[in-house]
Amino acid sequence: MMATTSLHPLADDYLDRLEHAARRLPRGERRELVEEIRAHLYEATHPDMSDAEILSVLDRLGEPEDIVEAERSHELSGIDRRGIHEWSAIFLVLFGGFVFGVGWIAGAILLWSSRAWNTRDKLIGTLVVPGGLAAGLWGALAVAVVGAGRVCTTAVPRGAERCSGGASTLGLIGVIALLAVLVLGPFCTAMYLARRAR
Amino acid sequence: MVAIGESVISQLRRGVLEFCVLALVRDEERYGFEIVRALSEASGLVTTEGTLYPLLGRLRKEGVVETTWRESPSGPPRRYYRLTAAGAAKLAAFAAEWVRFRDSVDALLETGVPR
Repeated sequence: MMATTSLHPLADDYLDRLEHAARRLPRGERRELVEEIRAHLYEATHPDMSDAEILSVLDRLGEPEDIVEAERSHELSGIDRRGIHEWSAIFLVLFGGFVFGVGWIAGAILLWSSRAWNTRDKLIGTLVVPGGLAAGLWGALAVAVVGAGRVCTTAVPRGAERCSGGASTLGLIGVIALLAVLVLGPFCTAMYLARRAR
Repeated sequence: MVAIGESVISQLRRGVLEFCVLALVRDEERYGFEIVRALSEASGLVTTEGTLYPLLGRLRKEGVVETTWRESPSGPPRRYYRLTAAGAAKLAAFAAEWVRFRDSVDALLETGVPR
């Protein structure tokens, strides 16, 4: 859809604001919404209009944030977008790592090729935790071994009671927190993705 | 003028607006801007024109309207909306309910007695 004429600078500014406000929408919806409003502006304005006339057109359109909010509320009340594609993506991102890691990569590809999620959702899906539950468990195991090793080596020369000292208790809390993130993170991400795609 | 709850009116509006769109494209196809302007010129129906476009998108996804692109004499191509069979059935069902609803409320407002 190529524009045949240019828009008034104020109308262009408005579209920029709309694109910025719409950045959290899934890409397909965002593009469509911006195109509809652009078409509206082509119909309702021409470049020679006075600033006041343009502002009145923009005023009737409403704030870009409100338009995006309306799009989001229709999205939420709209059709469930979780098809076989989305459920496969969620399953493989969570469990695919157990299949030599390739399953997770397939899941990530499905995740990024779906229109049900926006970029932020896809980043969360990929980064918490890369490799999914399998990587999380391996990571947790590594953290546990290293964590336990450090507690023991510091404890041995100074006596067992030093193990429960301030620093090592803090260390232990850190290790447990990290374990929780690595193991629970992938589950939380899967639930988040399932909810966001609805 | 006594202010009634804004949310009451906006909820009513939200509930009926989609059927107003369906009614607009029942007998002839219209393009998005035409629909938006027609609704916005009807008194009290629309506060911000821009929020109608997400509604048009939802109706399209629901399959109650279908669209075709046509060239415009000026500017980008226009997307024309037309009612589908599913949309016509939905609109007819609403229209029947609406008459009952409206008559009951009107009777109560005018006479204080249910009809």
